[in-house]
Amino acid sequence: MAGSITPVPLGEPRPANVAELEAELSALWRSAADDSTGKTAVTRACTLTLLIYVESDEAAYEVNNLVAEVTRQNPCRTIIMRLEPEASPSGFEAWVSAHCHLPLAGEKQVCSEQITIRARGEAVQGLASLVLPLTVSGLPIFLWWRAGSFSPPSYLDQILRVTQHVIVDTARFQPGGMHLKELAEWSRKVAGKVQVTDLNWARLTPWRDLIAQYFDSPERRPFLERLSAVRIEYEQESERLVTQRAQGLLLTGWLASRLGWEFVMSERRDAAQPRTFYFKSASGVVKVDRVLKKVAGGCGVCFAIELSSGGSSPARFSFSRGADGKVVETLAEIPGLPSLGRSVRLEVLEEAEILNEELKLGVRDQRYEEALGVVARMIASPASV
Amino acid sequence: MAEATTLVNPLGEGIRIHRTPEPCVMVIFGASGDLTERKLGPALFYLSRERLLPAGFSVIGCARTPATNEDFRGKMGRAVKKYLNLSEGSDAFVESFGNGLFYISGDFGDPAAYGQLKSLLDRLDQERGTSGNRLFYLATPPSFFPVIVKHLGAVGLAEPKFPGKSWTRIIIEKPFGRSLASALELNRSVTEVFREEQIYRIDHYLGKETVQNLLVFRYANGIFEPFWNRRYIDHVQISVTEDLGVENRGSYYEEAGLVRDMIQNHVLQLLSLVAMEPPSTFEATSVRDEKAKVLRAMRPAPLDRIDEFCVRGQYAEGWVGGGKVPAYRAEPKVSPVSNTETFAAFKFYIDNWRWADVPFYLRSGKRLAKRVSEISIQFRRVPHLLFRGAGTDGIEPNVLALHIQPNEGISLKFCAKLPGSTMQIRPVLMEFRYGESFGAPPPTAYETLLLDCMLGDATLFNRSDAVDLSWELMEPILDHWREQRGEGLTFYPAGTWGPAEADALIERDGRSWHGL
Repeated sequence: MAGSITPVPLGEPRPANVAELEAELSALWRSAADDSTGKTAVTRACTLTLLIYVESDEAAYEVNNLVAEVTRQNPCRTIIMRLEPEASPSGFEAWVSAHCHLPLAGEKQVCSEQITIRARGEAVQGLASLVLPLTVSGLPIFLWWRAGSFSPPSYLDQILRVTQHVIVDTARFQPGGMHLKELAEWSRKVAGKVQVTDLNWARLTPWRDLIAQYFDSPERRPFLERLSAVRIEYEQESERLVTQRAQGLLLTGWLASRLGWEFVMSERRDAAQPRTFYFKSASGVVKVDRVLKKVAGGCGVCFAIELSSGGSSPARFSFSRGADGKVVETLAEIPGLPSLGRSVRLEVLEEAEILNEELKLGVRDQRYEEALGVVARMIASPASV
Repeated sequence: MAEATTLVNPLGEGIRIHRTPEPCVMVIFGASGDLTERKLGPALFYLSRERLLPAGFSVIGCARTPATNEDFRGKMGRAVKKYLNLSEGSDAFVESFGNGLFYISGDFGDPAAYGQLKSLLDRLDQERGTSGNRLFYLATPPSFFPVIVKHLGAVGLAEPKFPGKSWTRIIIEKPFGRSLASALELNRSVTEVFREEQIYRIDHYLGKETVQNLLVFRYANGIFEPFWNRRYIDHVQISVTEDLGVENRGSYYEEAGLVRDMIQNHVLQLLSLVAMEPPSTFEATSVRDEKAKVLRAMRPAPLDRIDEFCVRGQYAEGWVGGGKVPAYRAEPKVSPVSNTETFAAFKFYIDNWRWADVPFYLRSGKRLAKRVSEISIQFRRVPHLLFRGAGTDGIEPNVLALHIQPNEGISLKFCAKLPGSTMQIRPVLMEFRYGESFGAPPPTAYETLLLDCMLGDATLFNRSDAVDLSWELMEPILDHWREQRGEGLTFYPAGTWGPAEADALIERDGRSWHGL
């Protein structure tokens, strides 16, 4: 199917009169119609309004390219908000364009609209007055916060008030800060009104599934209850280190929240390595080590998780992706039984792909909220770095 | 090993992707055959590679051909490479898949082979954590079904190993008999050992997406159901057409014919989905109950006026896709005097409150102009024409078309006024294509079906009553045609839309086939 649908931007984005954006969009649709007699009208499909917050021209450019991929699976009206509160002179600029997808020959195009709004200086205060009338009535509104820490300024309050879903990416959050804690607090505050999802958490979903699968068999569940150590390895000197660090925290938070572990303390045992976290479980202490590892020939995608259970029959369950970034090897080593391993495909997920899945799901993820809550407690502990 | 203290896997809860089935073993009887090599093996490999199968998933191939585990693994490895056109770097996946494959050779009637099978299943439960869940796939000719099923029952493999905690299921492929009598006999032999809810009768023509799209369209939208009845609908057409011929399936087709191959199962299934009453839940039992009610209400074609209700045809030589193709009778393994139908068209009525007097026109055939599956619901014309004049001759009845293949979607034809000062009315089409607007590739039929069976979702699988009812409807027609031999068999050039008699079938009622 991917080969049969080609996203085609309908010409270059054209400047639009900010006061008449809807009229500009109508003009765009008229120009997209095939038949001047109007016998075959272009059909517009729209399932949501996607607001995208960016803080730089580079980010706006990246997002512009991503939107074509997003609208292929989730036809929507996209509004990119590029805000420069410190810039002058104050004012707005806007552009409209459409992304059309060409399916099989003879079939109709499916087009989605994109509006880009740049707000400079004091004009940012009036952003909501432009954006809110442009949202498609009756359809859900998603806000994709494609920036660093999630700390929305007050002039976005009116927009947040009507937004049903906020999508962040903790891979973009700087490490060591309290951004995750702030996100957890905000998420708790708006629970029930706004659903918060995290692309970095979505990247972890296949890993969580792989881990969970080993314990679907009732005979293996006792090992889950006796877990005593978790080791998470990431590739040192990797451009994806920030992503993986946040993922390590979220994975830990997930295991702790699902298995009823209580956070006790953290300590830095090696200056060159991230902190170790300690939890209390029903069967004793669980130690979570995060390890930076040099990988020869690595390209930033190596990631490994190992769960060890104690007791009289210690077992080990490991999951690791190698330098090729495509294959995950899993292995269960249980005393008295042959090792059970397999190789599965798990490539690094592209941003557009993950975003599309989140847009389709559009439901509250309580597991994420729970995991994030644990992470907030972990990083707030005094010994943390 | 200690019993788990938690009944559910806490790590598995709330993972928002397609859940993998519970750990299980699939036993394929007839594993040395073509179906395993071309379809089952590649489908299972794909599911394994894409993380859709549980950890420890295992396959036991059973066949008469002597072979070892390594032989079977090697054969499956070569098969997946051939039929899936794997890229470089796939060896790790192939090896990983192969580690879960095992083989038992033996005669299907030999009790010792089933004892061996039982021992191996128990060993895999222990070593690979398959938890006592078993899926038996009968990829053998139907003549072997009774003996296999009998022996499975004799060694206790038909019942779940851990009652209430594990499951045992059996998959059988169509055709489910050649006639009502053979279908009943087949069903009797299987249900003597397995309960109905354990039996999954595969019909892979219709994908799950299609069935679900139809049900969602009807029951997730409040606006359509009020019109979905005889007050507003003039007639329904269901067309399932192919441009391919019988290719290398001549000997099968000579025995089956178009009605057994397509109408008795796939087309009637589409009809039941369109005509059924709303089920109380989306679960398989509720949906299948309503589908069976439709089949039960269908009025049999009157045999004394059969030509008014049924047309059969056979393709002659012609042109398809720019190439000349031979007639059916000239195909390999087809008798030069064959009377097997490759085309059929029917008019049926459903005798219930919703559909009384609404004709359902069905047509299906091979070597037609193109490959299309479509349901067209034509609404009644407006009772009174407000608009008269030269520009108003474009007023046509509304048609809601549910496109199944090749491009799944929905379209609605309605009238609109052309821009301008004069009254010019033309029909316009409002379309929605699933694949285009939500551009994700759908999984293949076997992958979906195997996963569904492991997950215990019987939505796509046929129940015995639906199989029997569809035979009751079609068998008298097939018997009548058999008695008539070639009389009444019409011929059509390959690459056209079938015999003229099929057009007459619907035009006699003042209607016409919807353009495809």
